[in-house]
This record gives sequence, C-alpha cells and structure tokens, in this order.
Amino acid sequence: MHNLGTVFGFEVRRSLKKKSFWITALSFPVLIAVIFGIVFFSNQATEQASVDNGKQQFSFAVTDESKLIEPKLLTAMNAQTFTKKQQGIDAVKNGAVDAYFFYPTDVSVELVEVYAKDVGLFDNGRYKTVAKGLLQQSVAPKVDAQVTAIIKGSIAFDETSYKDGQIYNGFAQVIAPGLFLVLFYILIAMFGNQMLTSTTEEKENRVIEMILTTIKARTLIIGKILSLVMLAFVQIVTILVPVITVYFVFKEQLSLPNLDLSNIPLDPVRIAIGAALFVSSFMLFTGLLVAIGAAVPTAKEASGFFGAVIIFLFAPLYAATLFISSPESPLVAVLSFFPFTAPIPLMLRNAVGNLSATDAVLGITIMSVSAAIILALAIRLFRYGALEYSNRLSLRTVLARKKNTPRP
Amino acid sequence: MHTPTDSLVSINHFTMTFGNQTVVDDLSFSVKRGETFGLLGANGSGKTTIIRALLGIYQPTGGELLLDGKPYAVDGGTKLGYLPEERGLYKKESVLAVMIYFGQLKGMAKYDAQAWSIDYLARVGLSDKAKTRLDKLSGGQQQKVQLGVTIMNDPELLILDEPTKGFDPVNRRLLMTIVEEHQQKGATVIFVTHQMEEVERLCDRIILLKNGKASEYGTVDAIKKAHGGASLDDIFLKIYGDDVEGMEQLSA
Repeated sequence: MHNLGTVFGFEVRRSLKKKSFWITALSFPVLIAVIFGIVFFSNQATEQASVDNGKQQFSFAVTDESKLIEPKLLTAMNAQTFTKKQQGIDAVKNGAVDAYFFYPTDVSVELVEVYAKDVGLFDNGRYKTVAKGLLQQSVAPKVDAQVTAIIKGSIAFDETSYKDGQIYNGFAQVIAPGLFLVLFYILIAMFGNQMLTSTTEEKENRVIEMILTTIKARTLIIGKILSLVMLAFVQIVTILVPVITVYFVFKEQLSLPNLDLSNIPLDPVRIAIGAALFVSSFMLFTGLLVAIGAAVPTAKEASGFFGAVIIFLFAPLYAATLFISSPESPLVAVLSFFPFTAPIPLMLRNAVGNLSATDAVLGITIMSVSAAIILALAIRLFRYGALEYSNRLSLRTVLARKKNTPRP
Repeated sequence: MHTPTDSLVSINHFTMTFGNQTVVDDLSFSVKRGETFGLLGANGSGKTTIIRALLGIYQPTGGELLLDGKPYAVDGGTKLGYLPEERGLYKKESVLAVMIYFGQLKGMAKYDAQAWSIDYLARVGLSDKAKTRLDKLSGGQQQKVQLGVTIMNDPELLILDEPTKGFDPVNRRLLMTIVEEHQQKGATVIFVTHQMEEVERLCDRIILLKNGKASEYGTVDAIKKAHGGASLDDIFLKIYGDDVEGMEQLSA
C-alpha cells in the first residue's frame, strides 16, 4: 500500500477545498437551523398572538338553546343574549355587535354557529376561541376534573417492561444500535454521487495512464474510499456540532425536551453487531458505486446509475413493519440476506432486537464477503476499464479477462 | 534478486492481438541502458501498444516485456518518467498541487517535490501560475506542466509517446532540451514517434515497425548506411511506400 497516504491526503484536501463539498456539508445543518428558526419564531408569534387575543376586546351576543352556557359568565363578559338566531345575525350585519354565537340544542351532534365581523384571515380565529372557551368554562365546574382529563386523553402513563427479569425499555434500546442505520443513510445519500464519480475523473481528464504507471489501481481505489470515509466523518461533525450547539444554547427558547444521555441503554453486543453491519454495508455500497463509476466513461453517465442503487437501498423500507413484527417471514429472510437489500433489514432488526445471533453472523458474513468481492471487482473494472475513454465497460468482458489475455 | 543487465528494456517474442487483429507479432528487441531509442512506425503500427504492454497497462497475448529484468511494477524500483499519448492532469486542481502529488507518488518527499516544482515552473516561465487551476491555463502552458510531471524525480527511464504531438514550437524546443539534459545525466530514453527529424537528432538506435514486426532495427547510422545514406524520412517513405501509394490513389 505504498503511496496510500499520499492518495488519501490529496483526495481529502481537494474535496475540502471544493465549494460544492461545503455546500452539501452545510446544507443539512443550515436546514436544521432554518427549521429551528421557523419553530422558534412561530412559537413566539403564537405566544404573542395568544396574548394579543386575550387582550383584545370585542362585543358579542349569544343564543343558547343548549342551556349549557353559564349566565354569570355572559354577564361578566358583557354579552348580550338573543332568543332568535336571525336577531344575532342582523346585529352583526349592522355592526351592533362584533360577533354572535349560536349554541344549538345538542352541541354534540349539531354545529355551534359563529357570525362575526371580518378582522383578517388569522385574527378571525379569536371568535371561535371565545365561543369554545365560553362553552368549556361553563361546563367545567359540572364535571369532575379527573373525568375531564380522561376524556381529553391528557393523562400520563408510566410504563415499565421486563425482559429476562430485567427492566427493558424497547424504544430506548433502539437508539444506540439504530444510529448506525441513520448514519449509513446519511452517508450514502450525501456521498453516493461522489463515490460514483470518484474514479471517472481520471478517465475524463485522461490522467489514467500516468496514474496507473505510478501507483497501483488497488492503492488508488482504497485511498479514494478512505478519503470518502474521512470526508463523511467531517460531514457528520459538520452536522452534529451546530445541532448540539443549537440544542444546548436554545433549549429553553425552543421548548426542547431534556435529553439525558445517561438513560440511553448501551447493549455492547447489539452495538458491536450494528457497527459490523454498518462497516460491511458501507464498504459494499461504496465498492458498488466505485465499480459503476469505473465501468462508465463519464461522471454524467455514472450519475444515471445512482437512482438504481438508491432503489435497492430504499425499497426494503416498504417492508419495515414486517422486519419489526414478523422477523421469521420468508420475505424478511430474503431481504435480510440478499446483499444489496440487506443493510436496512439487518440494521433495523438489530436495532429493535429481533436479529438472532445466527442471523447476525450470517448477515455480517454475507455483507463482508460481498463487500470484498465488489471491491475487488471495482479495482478490476478500474484497472481494465482504464483506457475505455468513450465506451462503457461490460461486466462480462471484465470477468472473462484472465492473466495473459489481452484487452479487447 | 535479479542481476542488472546491459539492457534496461527487453522485449522477447511479444505478441498482441485485439480480437482477430494481430497488432504486434512475435516482436523482440532491447533498449540498452543510457541510450536514446526510437520506436518508430506509422499510425496503428503498434508503438503505443508496446509501451502500454511494457508498463503493465495491457496484458500481452504472448511473450514477455521486461524492465530491468522483470515485468514492470510501480514499486519495482525503476524510476519512470512516462509521457503518454493520451495526456491530461487533474484539471480542477492547482498546478503546484498536481505537481507535488505526482512528485510524491513518484517517491519524492513533499518538500522536495514542492521545491523542484517551483524551480521547474520558474524555468518554464510559469512561476505566477503555480496556484492557478490547470483548466485556467492555455494549452501550451498545460503541456509544460505535463512535461514537468513526466520528468520529476530524475527518471532513469523516460518514455515519451508522440511527445511533440500538439506541442507548439516553443514547447517542442523545451522538450528537446529536457531530453538532451536527461541523456547527459545517463537516463535511458524511449522516443515513440514518427517525427524523423527529431529521431535523427536524438536517437542512438531505432526500431521501425510495419505490420507488427520489425522492419528495421539497429543504429541510426547503420540503417541509413544500409539504405545508401538515405535520410530516415526517405527510408520511412520507402518502407511505407505501398501504403502511401494507396493513400495517393484513394485521394486521386
């Protein structure tokens, strides 16, 4: 692996100097920041609107056929009462009152009608709020607080599960091993295209002959892959640093929940399996993307294949519930052990805890062997496809080539 | 352990076929250490194929191609400077970054590669372009950089495939000067060309290929003597006369 470090350094440095890398790298945290910003300002605006609504006074009249509205409340709010609906509507129309609420006999089946002066698309909502509040405040004293909470579904539960006699928090258990799946997706989504085009540049720039007589194809490919791993690490740090900073600096303003990392269970076996699946999946798909890039003459043509690879990756998501609830299903087995669809089922099943030791070993073995084969194929494609400046190299041709047989 | 031989390059019974077409047919020749050797022939005569097979880019159909007694390997110990017929560099990188990269790949320390590159760029009048992207340079300036990359780290074997192809007169003269400097340093030079004027000026020995075989092979003087003192241009035309006549008939 002579010169591996040189290739690695060159590839990392030139990627870090590219504007496109930083645009991609910063797009995610910027998007997060924008979303947080919108949430923050939206919260502030809502809060302000609520305060403003509370302060705003408007005159209103009521017709209460339901007999639910508390007269004392109406008196306290200086509300008029009408016996006929039309009187209320006319009062609004001629400006005698700002709003009129008609409560029908049975509010559970009939509509409460609100007639009011237009004060703008968003501010019109205050009439309905008052009409509803009036109804709620009127009936609240008549109903037990607990009954109200039960009906509103606003009661809290504390659930404790046991597995093998030990407290088991299923959702929390998913977090640590599940991170590998998230990480895998982020990396493929953000670097897939770069992996695809990483070897086409040498062809397009006609630098391939000088390169191949200076460095081994294997060293070049591995150097490029390692540089992509490093760039992925930079990408992850670029994403996490702003997110973590925003969390700790603006936690209160954004009403973010408290995150106690000490409560996240760390199952060393599942984390180790998740890591092994992540590494082998990443290497497999990196090898596949590099192999495609090596077989085609231009970056533009290589990019056309990215969609097909993504379909392989994302298609198993449609069976996600099956992976969680029916791990013994034949479809799950097929998707779990076919190398190009395996990353999601295997990592997801490992995260939710239904990947048996046998399946884990089998899956890691299949993925690792496939990754090694695909990487070897990628190197071979690059080596033999080196001078195919304008033609797409066929897999059959490359596989048919043996030592002492010429290139076509 | 291999024993150094008088010949740096040995081509023994080399055959190369592409599909049904035999491009090189049982060809044998050698290139001695320190000589400048001309690999000559018309377009499609197999010159580039021989070089690519010698450097391991092509796998030979038959025979062996040895560099210092063994097949070429990038880490085999022979310092190689190769200017291929198909040329190019990383166009979106700066001149200096690319030169340092290739210098390092050729075994130079980064600092040495940088120092050498800066000296070379000063020599060829490109000092102010060191940090410029390659695709921002003119064609002639890119050729100078390509040439610099080829001769980095004092190659003991310099292979120049159609070196003057596309070169302007200024760069052609620069190339010739550089070749002469490397000759004086004792480097072995293989010239792949059909520019006979340069061959007569620089080469000690030549091989002239026709239909994948050696039509002429020996010192320039001996070949010229064998043809009654004719120039290499005339000898070339004589050997490829049939093809030239055919071309004339086609165009007539």
